[in-house]
Amino acid sequence: MNPDRSFPHEENARVIFAPLAFRNLTIKNRILRSNISGTFDDYDGHGGHARLNWEEKFAKGGVGAILTSFTPVAVRGRILTRYAMIDNDDKIPFWRAVAGRVHGHDCKLIMQLSHSGRQQDLGGVENLHRKAQSSTDRRDYFHGILCQAMTRPEIAEVVDQFAQGARRAREAGLDGVELHGANGYLITQFLSSGINDRKDEYGGNWEARARFVLEIIRAIRAEVGPDFHLQMKINGEDHNSWLYPWQKPGNSLEETLKICRLLLDDGKGVDAFHVSSGATFPHPRNPPGDLPMRDLARWYDGMISQGTRAGFNHAIFSNRLTAATFRAYWRWRRGKVIEGINLPYARAIREVVQALDPAIPVICTGGFQHADAIAGAIRGGECDAVSIARPLIANNDLPQILQRANGPEPRRECSYCNKCLINDLENPLGCYEVSRFPGDTFEERYDAMIAEVMSVFHPPAFDGPVQQEARS
Amino acid sequence: MTQDNDPLSPVEKAVRKRRRWLWLILVAVLAWLVYWLVAVNQYVVAQKSEQDHFLHGSIGAETANGLPYWVFKALPEIYRDKLGNEGWGRFGLITRDGDDLPLGFSRRVVSGVERVWFNCSLCHVGTYRLPGSDHQYLIAGAPSNNLRLQEMIVFLIEAGRDPGLTPDALMQGIRDAGGDLSWPERLIYRHLAFPRVKDRLQWVGERLAFIHRQEPWGPGRVDTFNPYKAIQFNFPMDERHISTAALNGASDYPAIWQQRPREGMNLHWDGNNDSVAERNLSAALGAGVTPVTVDRQAIRRIEIWMQTLPAPRFPGPIDAAKAQRGETLFARHCAACHGRGAPLGDRPAGYAEINAPGGGAYGAAYDARDTADCAALGTDREYRAAAPDTPRASYGEGDFAYPPARPYDYDQGRHPCLGQTVALARIGTDPGRWQSYTREFAAAQNLLYAGYPWRFHRFRKTDGYASQPLDGIWARSPYLHNGSVPTLRDLLDPPRARPAQWLRGSDELDLARVGYRSDGAAPGRLSPYDTTRPGNSNSGHEYGVTLRDDQKAALVEYMKTL
Repeated sequence: MNPDRSFPHEENARVIFAPLAFRNLTIKNRILRSNISGTFDDYDGHGGHARLNWEEKFAKGGVGAILTSFTPVAVRGRILTRYAMIDNDDKIPFWRAVAGRVHGHDCKLIMQLSHSGRQQDLGGVENLHRKAQSSTDRRDYFHGILCQAMTRPEIAEVVDQFAQGARRAREAGLDGVELHGANGYLITQFLSSGINDRKDEYGGNWEARARFVLEIIRAIRAEVGPDFHLQMKINGEDHNSWLYPWQKPGNSLEETLKICRLLLDDGKGVDAFHVSSGATFPHPRNPPGDLPMRDLARWYDGMISQGTRAGFNHAIFSNRLTAATFRAYWRWRRGKVIEGINLPYARAIREVVQALDPAIPVICTGGFQHADAIAGAIRGGECDAVSIARPLIANNDLPQILQRANGPEPRRECSYCNKCLINDLENPLGCYEVSRFPGDTFEERYDAMIAEVMSVFHPPAFDGPVQQEARS
Repeated sequence: MTQDNDPLSPVEKAVRKRRRWLWLILVAVLAWLVYWLVAVNQYVVAQKSEQDHFLHGSIGAETANGLPYWVFKALPEIYRDKLGNEGWGRFGLITRDGDDLPLGFSRRVVSGVERVWFNCSLCHVGTYRLPGSDHQYLIAGAPSNNLRLQEMIVFLIEAGRDPGLTPDALMQGIRDAGGDLSWPERLIYRHLAFPRVKDRLQWVGERLAFIHRQEPWGPGRVDTFNPYKAIQFNFPMDERHISTAALNGASDYPAIWQQRPREGMNLHWDGNNDSVAERNLSAALGAGVTPVTVDRQAIRRIEIWMQTLPAPRFPGPIDAAKAQRGETLFARHCAACHGRGAPLGDRPAGYAEINAPGGGAYGAAYDARDTADCAALGTDREYRAAAPDTPRASYGEGDFAYPPARPYDYDQGRHPCLGQTVALARIGTDPGRWQSYTREFAAAQNLLYAGYPWRFHRFRKTDGYASQPLDGIWARSPYLHNGSVPTLRDLLDPPRARPAQWLRGSDELDLARVGYRSDGAAPGRLSPYDTTRPGNSNSGHEYGVTLRDDQKAALVEYMKTL
């Protein structure tokens, strides 16, 4: 990323707030809320009212489109409990309600269809006695989550679950779907040469590894037709050996470029790419930033029952010396760039896919919160739009801020501390960086932070006289 | 709740399985560690000083041949009828006040049991008393004059065969010796240590059955190679395979001081090896180490100490004028084969004064003369190598402190026969020791330590006996390799005039004739020595026997100064 500061802010804002047309969808500006949500919903995957509040916050804040959080197409593919799912037609009414809330603010809603595969952080009681599904039998090397290689019938079943998810999204009135093919989830587990060790037609060279996602794309198209927006989130590079250098590195950019061309499927495939990196989640490159070791010691404990290595990890996180060492290693593996960390990959992918089809925009994620950085990337041909998660959690109205300024005032900027990410395991999602909040004492700042975090529950589900009085 | 309704989750199963493996590995590692610490690793007492290391440091003999500590302590109690109140002292072992083991015994914990056995000092600590005095002086590195090794071996063999030596007898003996064993130790001693000791002693008895056919070794003598043949190489030792002459090769123990200048000389009485290090390792085998159990570092430490260990200085008065006359005679008749002391110089007057009994006035006067001696020796390389290593003041510690002898000239260039073998026909001394060392045995020895860089390769059969430097010769009586001549003065007589029957075992010095007293009135436990028995001949070495008596007296006086 190389923000060109010679452009005045107005010019940057003009670039950012220009509409972006996909083949089947147009959004009002170049800012998408990236896929993120808290554990607000009902345990069985039905959405809750807090989720309505959550998505509306960002729509109201001015983003052009919202990518829903990781939305499992089956309970076996969930990453965390209390995330709304799209595994059954009975979820359609909820998502219709979400779409209604979001559309009310001239914001589009794109559902991220997802399957955790072996990266199933908190699988819930439904999955307690089942191993996760994956392309491989080898357990996830970070948490040690157990898995088994999917059989062909299971693959066919999951492909259909994705297709049915897309159908439900369309029926719910959403504006499109995204396949989560990045960051180590099931589609990545098939795509990545670092993970996929299959000997059948779904493993081997890049083309064989892409067979699974290509089947999903074709099934979705068969289900929802060619005119429903379908985009693909994909890793520029896998960086699968970030933690253990003896792990295979995974897909290179060259392989990713070939896969992207394949997924266009002669114009019948995806409508856009959403570029990230990192074959696990979390990963030093995603979300790029710091690692809050104290929060990990506090909130990672729930993972101990989920993976064979989680207890070891928690011990590492709980010891000050090993925690400091791990944190230093994490930061070193990330590198120096945070804002725009994935732009080189986005540029490469954009060049390749737009050479084949100029109507395929590329969205880039990774720490964006400044107008000059975003506008510079778009202007420089590195991407067509950006997706933002953590800076939007910090400042729900970030698009409005970027209308008038280059970014939030320094004290209110997202610090990339990643406390939101770790707290999400056990607490409502929100910004947990106390220093960003007003107050003269820690207690004042902490109370302000909690109030902000808990604002997602307002208005409450049952709006009684007390609340009405409070609002009046 | 049944397992059917409350199974473990896959993660829990995997974690439990891994935990089982971890526990298994941990237990295996701990078991291995305990096994290694108890059964494999051995523990020795690290001695602070080189002298203490020599006296009580382990060289590894305990591992294969050692007796468990409490067996060693109990045997004198069990066999009080044989050993009397002397205990191990019956065999000439010396136990100093405060020590629980005699000199020459070291300890090592092997397989969890403390064992004791020989080290180098068993055979290389000499004693002497001045006439009329009860005080016993100890000299580390001098030949042992007290050790009755043959008697001790016979005692142990008989103990091994004794049906009365039972576990109960052993446990009672341990109690009598003051052993307050814990119950695990009692179990170990009764059920593990006892049978092994018994087996080992019986095995030694079988291997050394020939020892009963041998002439008595007597105090201060050892048959170096016949037990070696039997124990290390299983040589047949019955009458059909070994002659009476070869069977009786008992010899005096040698002194082990000043080994650096002896490097390259033909060592052992018959000169069968010219490597000090190889000779030392071989001697260690005699003390009970095996090529597998040898503690080379411990032996190396002694080896370094021995390189510069000074010979002791004669403790009696010396007539300086007479000694100076003797120096000339020595140079003419003896030096070519034996080297010589540094020249006495032209200031012999003070010599008698400072050489008072006990060496108390040893000091500055000696230093000054020593310096002059060094200058007189000039460019002699050997001498210069030895001289700086010779301490000017008292050497050794505690009971073992002594004033060192004057420097000695070991130069083989100046003394062409020094360290060389002299053909048996020419030297004419007793052939037993020479015959006991055979070509077959040398060949077998040269296979020892095969596979190691220190494999033996210098052993060989020679044609006679080697001529040795005479440094500290006063402390090496009796004389000739088999200790058949009581004093230096006797050695200057023709063989027929040398004592034919005399008594070994006293450590009171005859300061005039130089050697231990050998008469019936001498103090100490005496053993007869009959020069007519095989291996005991006092024949040969007829050098200086034709000198006049005053010349012989002068020669003896001079040899006191060495």
